[in-house]
Amino acid sequence: MQITVNGEISKLEEIEVNLLKLLELKQVESPEMVAVQLNGSFIEMSSYSSTYLKSGDDIEFLFFMGGGSE
Amino acid sequence: MTGFATSSIHGVHLKADVHGSLRTPVYDTVAFEFESARDISQAFAGRKPAHTYSRITNPTVEDFEQRIRLISGGSAVVAVSSGMAAITNVILTLAGAGTNIVTSKHLFGNTLSLLEKTLKPWGLEVRYVDMSEPAVVRRAIDENTRAVFLESITNPQLEVADFKAISKITSEESVPLIVDGTVTTPYLFCSREFGVNIEVLSSTKYISGGATSMGGVIIDNGNFDWRKSPRLNDWADKMGPLALLGALRREVYRNVGSCLAPHHAYLHSLGLETMSLRIEKSCSNAHDLAGFLQQHQRISSVNYPGLTKSKFHEIATAQFAKRYGGILTFDLESREACFALLDNLHLIKRATNVNDNKTLILHPASTIFCEYPDEVLNDIGVRQTMIRLSAGIEDLEDLRNDLEKGLAAL
Repeated sequence: MQITVNGEISKLEEIEVNLLKLLELKQVESPEMVAVQLNGSFIEMSSYSSTYLKSGDDIEFLFFMGGGSE
Repeated sequence: MTGFATSSIHGVHLKADVHGSLRTPVYDTVAFEFESARDISQAFAGRKPAHTYSRITNPTVEDFEQRIRLISGGSAVVAVSSGMAAITNVILTLAGAGTNIVTSKHLFGNTLSLLEKTLKPWGLEVRYVDMSEPAVVRRAIDENTRAVFLESITNPQLEVADFKAISKITSEESVPLIVDGTVTTPYLFCSREFGVNIEVLSSTKYISGGATSMGGVIIDNGNFDWRKSPRLNDWADKMGPLALLGALRREVYRNVGSCLAPHHAYLHSLGLETMSLRIEKSCSNAHDLAGFLQQHQRISSVNYPGLTKSKFHEIATAQFAKRYGGILTFDLESREACFALLDNLHLIKRATNVNDNKTLILHPASTIFCEYPDEVLNDIGVRQTMIRLSAGIEDLEDLRNDLEKGLAAL
């Protein structure tokens, strides 16, 4: 399956991948520090495990750790 | 889901330490290096999870924030430099000139001063109501109301509002409910279960435990739709359910510069590990001292939600798991008698803090409320004859003996 994560093409070998699994695959260590958009819509954290991806999906991870400084 | 103490001690595993340290080290550093220009630009854009600058995030502070998130059940936490910084950051994020917040006059003295003397000149309207009358709260809310704010147990009046009744109103009116839970902490009061949307705490108190360092936390309980908060509309479009955290982290908190020092975060994480034990002892001491004082002939009245005669006993019992906090107040016949008692004590310390390991005593009218004239003090329930005692975790008999001797010398 081919998806786009933060603007970059990503090929996944797994057949069934939900958002929780994607966060794990992308080594996001603090899922609670990220807002997730799937094809332009925000997904509630409680729905990560029930939201399965399909080829062509566009995912944005928005983290709260960086964000402009000196 | 593990228990409260276990969660406090083990926290959230963020990253394996290179030396296998069981405790997250103190990252006393300002900046963090990146492997490439692209990496740092991605971090600034929020597309890569990385610390960039310690005024915004820091690994030791993050460890503390994640522990608080775990024990509170909230969806997001921002740690700040003090409890006052927590209140200020939240109000600056939600409200502004031409808007109002609804609160009670029965507030910590510096909170009242923040609202009256610091924020009012910037155009914020503050509407004071009696929080024990939910219908009055509803009438005070209008289209310009940006939040309802109150304390879990007011300091020093020790009043307890019915949070389910108030949160029902704020939910129906689409206004976020903010509670200062400093004196209860998530151990005594699970604010999310009572419909509170944001909890702020001074972590200087019960969390640090030994009064080692200043700090505060802001907890987003994740139960408010931020699209309904006008100042957060744009942030809700950008950050969805984490709009409050985004507005804080990328605007107000970042720009105000109210970051928690990494060393203080370390001390607060350490304090958190024993907090549940200390709160049990502090509440037990406060309860027993209140019982002792109300039997004493020199005391005209004792105020403590744990006493069955308190008008807030029933609601406090329902909301705080049958503990009533570590603070009590009592009255003597005059201000002079209050001063004399304070001067007659040897173990109990004359100091302005609460929920320390040490038992502390204070005359509120002449200290934390000294900037207010008598008519204001009367209005906010702070009497010249009132003494506030914050029970620590010493042996009860030693505290009783100190008070007994102090009162006998009057």
